[in-house]
Amino acid sequence: MIMPFVLDKSAILERLGGDEEIYAMMLDMFLQDVDNNCAALLAAAAAGDQALLQREAHTVKGLLATFSDDAGAAVAFTLEQHARAGRQAEAASLVDEVIARVGEVAGVLRGQSGG
Amino acid sequence: MHKVLIIDDSDINLTLIRALVLKLGECEPIMFEHPVKALEWCRDNVPDLVIVDYMMPEMDGLRFIAGFRALHGRTEIPVLMITANDQKDVRYEALLGGANDFLTKPIDRIEFSARARNMLALRTGQKFLADRAAFLAEKVDERTREIRERERELIFRISRAAEFRDPETGAHIQRMAHYSEIIARGLDLDAATCRLILQAAPMHDVGKIGIRDYILLKPGRLTPQEFEIMKRHAELGYELLRNSGSEIMQAGAEIALAHHEKYDGSGYPKGLKGQAIPLFGRIVAVADVFDALTSERPYKKAWALEDARRLVEEGRGKHFDPVCVEAFLAGWDEALEIHQRFRDDEAPAI
Repeated sequence: MIMPFVLDKSAILERLGGDEEIYAMMLDMFLQDVDNNCAALLAAAAAGDQALLQREAHTVKGLLATFSDDAGAAVAFTLEQHARAGRQAEAASLVDEVIARVGEVAGVLRGQSGG
Repeated sequence: MHKVLIIDDSDINLTLIRALVLKLGECEPIMFEHPVKALEWCRDNVPDLVIVDYMMPEMDGLRFIAGFRALHGRTEIPVLMITANDQKDVRYEALLGGANDFLTKPIDRIEFSARARNMLALRTGQKFLADRAAFLAEKVDERTREIRERERELIFRISRAAEFRDPETGAHIQRMAHYSEIIARGLDLDAATCRLILQAAPMHDVGKIGIRDYILLKPGRLTPQEFEIMKRHAELGYELLRNSGSEIMQAGAEIALAHHEKYDGSGYPKGLKGQAIPLFGRIVAVADVFDALTSERPYKKAWALEDARRLVEEGRGKHFDPVCVEAFLAGWDEALEIHQRFRDDEAPAI
């Protein structure tokens, strides 16, 4: 198990040059897209399409990294690497964990955005 | 206003990069989720900066850059590729494939601004140099045109100087130059060569400057000794014009020397025969004789055009190169127009 997600808003803001407006926009977009991203990840795994799974894991890795979730991004990266190498069983074993992490991050962010 | 093309299949990244691009100022972001569509856009539009994600469906960033660089005029436009930190091999490949720099995900505004500004500064420099080069090329063209125009005018005036000492007129040199051009075109010579003979033919008699007045202006027939002196104008003209850096002067030298040679070898100064006579000399021989026959002189009336035509035809293979005669006859209607256009009683236009 990985450490629970803790939002480090100051670190994210620092990366965005202290721009609250962009931060708020990113947060909204993450929450808007989160269901689609998880669905796409699941569909790729279900289809056994390793190239697609690699790409979806890569997208999710980027999203988690955007919110400074290094631990979550690391799991998504491992998934991406398994898919890339065609290690289907190893990749499949991580899909649920990544989806759970994305949900956890979304929950924390939703609390932030007041939604 | 810089056009910044952003290609990323992720909405959130597109939105983030667009916001960061707008913060740069003086930038117009143009966004595409699909690299194939972005590449289509690039066929008709020229961005000032391209920011492209590496991992995308359909076409990854490397293939996009390869396609983009293959488009005409897109080899120098700065390209920033977005990659993850762990994709070192991709970065090497991208550098070899034409990426100028990288952005690391997650995107950091400070890094983004610095790299994007550097790329846009590079682009501004490229545009300045291109504009400057275009401006200079235009200036050079303009100056070259002026110089060529002056060269043409100078040649005409030199030719006129010889004609002033001669019963022949400025209209004569215009007509014979145009007849020469008609023959050159009839021989299928290229446009530049036809233009060259038009410009150089007026100098055919420039050597007459060196012939004494009592011979040049003698109203009656020349004695054999006087004719020998008169014949020297061919070589004098050649001496005057040869070794010039000007292509027109060089052609003029060849024409001056060869225009009194005859196809059967009975001409002067060298008595050359057939194809040994330079082509320009063979062409100008037809044009010059025809115009001399059809022009009025103090010592003779102008021949009727048909009579002069007959003499040219009869001179085929003897005085004239048969091929040049054919070319002249083929352009007969044009020759008549030239005869009408340049009249002896009118001051010639320079």
